[in-house]
Amino acid sequence: MKRDRRLRRLIPLYIASALLLFWALAPIYWVAVSSISNRIELYARPYKIWFPSEPTLEHYVTLFTTGAAYRDGGFSPTAGLIGAGLRNSIIISVASAAIVTVVSTGAGYVFARLRFRFKQTAFYFLMLLMPLPVWVALIALFFLLTNLNLIDTLHGLIMLFVVFMLPLSVWLMSTFIRDIPEEIEDAALVDGCTRWQLLPRIVFPLARPGMIAVFLVALLTSWNNFLLPLIFSRTSASQPMTVVLTLFIGQYEVAWEDMSAAAVLTMLPPFLMALFFQRYLVRGLTAGAVK
Amino acid sequence: MTRDGLHRDHIFVLTLLVPIIIFVAILIYYPAIDTFTTSLTNRNLRINRPTEFVQLENYSYLLTNNEFWEVTGRSFLLVLITLPLEMIIALGGALLLNERFPGRGVVRTLVILPWMVPPVVNGFLWGWLLNGEYGAFNGLLYQFGLIHEYQYWLQNPGTQILWVAVVQTWTRFSFPMIVLLAGLQGIQDDLYEAAKVDGANGLQRLWRITLPLLLPSFAVALVVEFIAVFQIFDVIWTLTAGGSAGGAINPFTKTLMLFNYELVFRDLRIGRGAALSYLILIMSLAVGLVFVRRLYNQGVQDT
Repeated sequence: MKRDRRLRRLIPLYIASALLLFWALAPIYWVAVSSISNRIELYARPYKIWFPSEPTLEHYVTLFTTGAAYRDGGFSPTAGLIGAGLRNSIIISVASAAIVTVVSTGAGYVFARLRFRFKQTAFYFLMLLMPLPVWVALIALFFLLTNLNLIDTLHGLIMLFVVFMLPLSVWLMSTFIRDIPEEIEDAALVDGCTRWQLLPRIVFPLARPGMIAVFLVALLTSWNNFLLPLIFSRTSASQPMTVVLTLFIGQYEVAWEDMSAAAVLTMLPPFLMALFFQRYLVRGLTAGAVK
Repeated sequence: MTRDGLHRDHIFVLTLLVPIIIFVAILIYYPAIDTFTTSLTNRNLRINRPTEFVQLENYSYLLTNNEFWEVTGRSFLLVLITLPLEMIIALGGALLLNERFPGRGVVRTLVILPWMVPPVVNGFLWGWLLNGEYGAFNGLLYQFGLIHEYQYWLQNPGTQILWVAVVQTWTRFSFPMIVLLAGLQGIQDDLYEAAKVDGANGLQRLWRITLPLLLPSFAVALVVEFIAVFQIFDVIWTLTAGGSAGGAINPFTKTLMLFNYELVFRDLRIGRGAALSYLILIMSLAVGLVFVRRLYNQGVQDT
């Protein structure tokens, strides 16, 4: 009897879970399957096999070697684009996330712990930028960076990502640090530790979960971003994966199976982050909304 | 604290904050002000003429321009379709994940994956899924006998914006879901027990206890999602914009951000584009201010 009741409670829950997972995962599954299918099976009408009879990784190889296939056949001159795109994406996102994490931990500590004049002003000065539509700065920023010769450079993009991600990161770090008990720092200060020694020796280790969260959020944000490189990149010297993908869709009309492989490569790093560090990532992404 | 200690703290604060503030001032505030002055000029890179100060002409042009109102209306329409869709799915997901059952952790981990998908990929993903020639959506419906012929789902201008809403919902519903889930976990169990004793059924408990107590969570989720949808760009770019090849931007899914891109980087009407970006700023300011106040209260508060 008891098992019966348990089952009657669980069955609807599992049906609901299946529906929810289907909605969330089916589109991803389809692209993953497309990327390992051969053209004949994938372009069958009606399509009804849902898994290739002979899964292949050739489309991934194609992306790096001959260049992706056109929709009408033949290969497009895109062989170098994917390699460069991945390299640029990695450099831009790792560098800007690392810089923003260190800088915002220092600033977050200052806002969380110290009292000083103009504190509220300084805080508002940074936080006002958070809901600001980027376009307000973007137009003049384009001309500014052109004059500084920073268009189409990796360091230019890294600088932009750092500055655009700063407000959120500083705010996140200040809330995380506020949640750390102050006693240890007080004891260290009494023992003659300076603030400068305090930061690397005591604050960084205690704030590590917060720093990881900020780093992951920054990594995800910069990896996924498209608008900034769309405007500030010109060539494969700085174009990240998101921009390369749009070239595949528009300019080169790349075949669906190769396009899918490129899309999978672009989604993979965020997925791995979500699967392995979900706790930190979700904490960082929802801080402020979830207490 | 000694006077000396205070002085040292000042140097500490200045060294950590001043570089950031200068950096932000040069790269965001200065360009923002510069954009505003530009918005008062007729700067246009397509026409070779000296740039002149035209006061508020760009603003009055936009405010009396049909396309501007059409695009603005479409942006708000998109918000009005997307937010309810997101909230319904998010509430369903949150209610589910609030129950205890074996495997809940796995469901929770997997269900947020769409949230991680880069918006550009998201647009491509659904474009391919809904493709009229070989898309899986057609394949699925055909297999279940729901359609007898493949449909070009994204072809109809009238329904394109609905698909944008669906696709945006797909990628964003996790955020409100987690916010609502946290809200649900904060509701005391004895409230439900008491309602059960009084004979309230499941639906009444949802309507009378759960939803009212979730209102603050809904408010937070709606503000954040409003900003996300209002500033939508990448998804439309790859799903329906048609502008990724450098061609004209599809007018039927042109929202404010795309319109702004088109004015500045395609038409090279810098002055007018700058004015539009300020009009967009004003529209999102009200919602934005609520957001910042909330952040301040949590990040600095009574110190």
